[in-house]
Amino acid sequence: MNSRLSYDIIGLAVFAAVILFGVPAFFGYDAFELNTFSRYLSLAIVSMALALSWGTAGLLNLGQAATFGMGSYAMAMHLKLKASGDGLPDFMGWNNVDTLPILWVPFHSFAFTLLAGLLVPAAVGGLIAVFMFRARIAGVFVAVITLAFLVAFQLLVIEQQGFTGGQNGLTGLAPLVLFGWTVDIYSVAFYYLVGACLMVALMFGLYLTHSKFGLILRAIREDPDRTRYFGYNVANYQTVIFCISAGLAGLAGMLYALVLEFASPTYMSVSFSLAIVIWCAVGGRESVLAAAVGAILVNLAEGRLSDVFVEGWHMMLGVMFLLVVMFMPRGIYGVIVDTFRALRRTSACDDAAQSGAPLNSKQES
Amino acid sequence: MDVVFNQAFAGLSIASILLIIALGLAIIYGTMGVINLAHGEFVMLGAYATWALQTHLGLGVITALPLVFLAVAAAGWVIEKVIVQRLYTRPLDTILATWGIGIILQQAIRLGVGAESKFVRGPQWLSGNVEIGALVMSNYRLFVIAFSLFIVAVTWLLMTRTEFGMKLRAVIQNRGISECYGIEAKKVYSVTFAYGAGLAGIAGALITPLFSTIPTMGTGLVVDAFLVVIVGGLGSLVGTAAAAMLIGEVTALFSIVINDTLGRIAVLAGIIILIRFRPRGLFPSDTRR
Repeated sequence: MNSRLSYDIIGLAVFAAVILFGVPAFFGYDAFELNTFSRYLSLAIVSMALALSWGTAGLLNLGQAATFGMGSYAMAMHLKLKASGDGLPDFMGWNNVDTLPILWVPFHSFAFTLLAGLLVPAAVGGLIAVFMFRARIAGVFVAVITLAFLVAFQLLVIEQQGFTGGQNGLTGLAPLVLFGWTVDIYSVAFYYLVGACLMVALMFGLYLTHSKFGLILRAIREDPDRTRYFGYNVANYQTVIFCISAGLAGLAGMLYALVLEFASPTYMSVSFSLAIVIWCAVGGRESVLAAAVGAILVNLAEGRLSDVFVEGWHMMLGVMFLLVVMFMPRGIYGVIVDTFRALRRTSACDDAAQSGAPLNSKQES
Repeated sequence: MDVVFNQAFAGLSIASILLIIALGLAIIYGTMGVINLAHGEFVMLGAYATWALQTHLGLGVITALPLVFLAVAAAGWVIEKVIVQRLYTRPLDTILATWGIGIILQQAIRLGVGAESKFVRGPQWLSGNVEIGALVMSNYRLFVIAFSLFIVAVTWLLMTRTEFGMKLRAVIQNRGISECYGIEAKKVYSVTFAYGAGLAGIAGALITPLFSTIPTMGTGLVVDAFLVVIVGGLGSLVGTAAAAMLIGEVTALFSIVINDTLGRIAVLAGIIILIRFRPRGLFPSDTRR
């Protein structure tokens, strides 16, 4: 446990150094490259959020894109109101909405927007979680129910054109003003803002997974019944991690809407939701850090390869994903951990003699 | 009132197609515990196979059915042998793997045939309508309903009256012991997967005159089919049939009262609530897994 923690802290430090110093320096602080990377970093947050519920607690949430979308719409609603000044947002006029809907009114306030972007997804996630986990729904059923919720939610957002802009989403947003600083999404400062959010999210995620709470979640993943017999309220633990994961997805959505300057129903599509699962699986679902790295790597590869293979890229993504699932079920993280362990085994006698640990002590997988 | 009846009839024909898709899915899940997210893509393959047979060989939708069944079943058989068979011990990973297969199939069609939608003519001899009072029923939709009942009957006979069905039920009950009795579970799994895929192919063929054939057509259908399987109760043929009818009809009737999209949302919400109170579906089977 402690050695794992120290590895994770070293890993996080290396990752932070690469993201915060390596990447900007490598691209010579180029505005467009940094903006692209800000996008990857915000996606890394939603991927690590999924790792918390899926990798740690074994709850495969195929509806992660719904909570991501809620965050992005919260941010976009605030910026849309700002862009519209005193008038109504333009799309409402096209849909014969005369007065600002009550739902929209509080989004004039930035503080409310921030809270809503975090708490609304968390609350909705919690509601679904209470629903599922009180009924002791597990395994593939969680996946299918969250998928059904995602489909229903996306339909609802597209349907309610007067509130949400329908299929077009929310476009023509004003820049965010943060404590008098007008955020320029092509600035280095904005890149650092997104990077800082990711680092805070990762530190929080690492703290959770290494706490007793994380230990119980892993116990639930391995054997919910036995954990129940030990007196833990499994449903409560599952609900809490689901809420946290949804809230972090909301944070990622808010940043994503900022980076792309629009919010769209495609953020809540089934394929986007499963793309999040791919990033998480490729990086390694057991580690929040690995999941974040996975999101960045896959998106980086997509950004570079889709220029070359415009049509073939999705095919390559599918093949790559299939190979990862079949031959690297624990993702890149699993490969690295196994390699390290194999290297250590050669000098295991020395280690065992020094630490008094049994040989080949099996870590939870 | 006429609107209600006509809508109920349209719902019934969609429900029949949903039933065929869900039947394949239910058999695959019930037997192997594999959640097949590529099932929608098998439907799509069936639709494209029908289109190809019609444009290149001039076959009608109905005459193409056996060929489409065999073609998609063969594709399913290969996929089971190469990929799915390696994942039986990891049920959650089959969701991911089959979704990867789905992406690959979708992109293969998009690259090979093109992304624009294809049109398939319905059979000439089924082009008319049957009218009873104000109720107008197209012959083709009547045929679809009858054919889906035929498929259910064939599947039931296959499961209960053949040697293969007996082996299949034995493997579902207890894989280890049936293997001791000389049943090759691997072979049974492969054939079951191929049969389920073939059913999806048939559904794809039947749907072509009603829906436009595009590479992404499977995604929406597979979500519905999943819900049918879960609402019906896993491994229960009766439950699957009942749930397909229920969901098809409720969607159709809701769409008169509210509108199409809100009707669908209401049905999805209803299903989520239903699962809360009946996690094992309407007709849970007593099969031990």
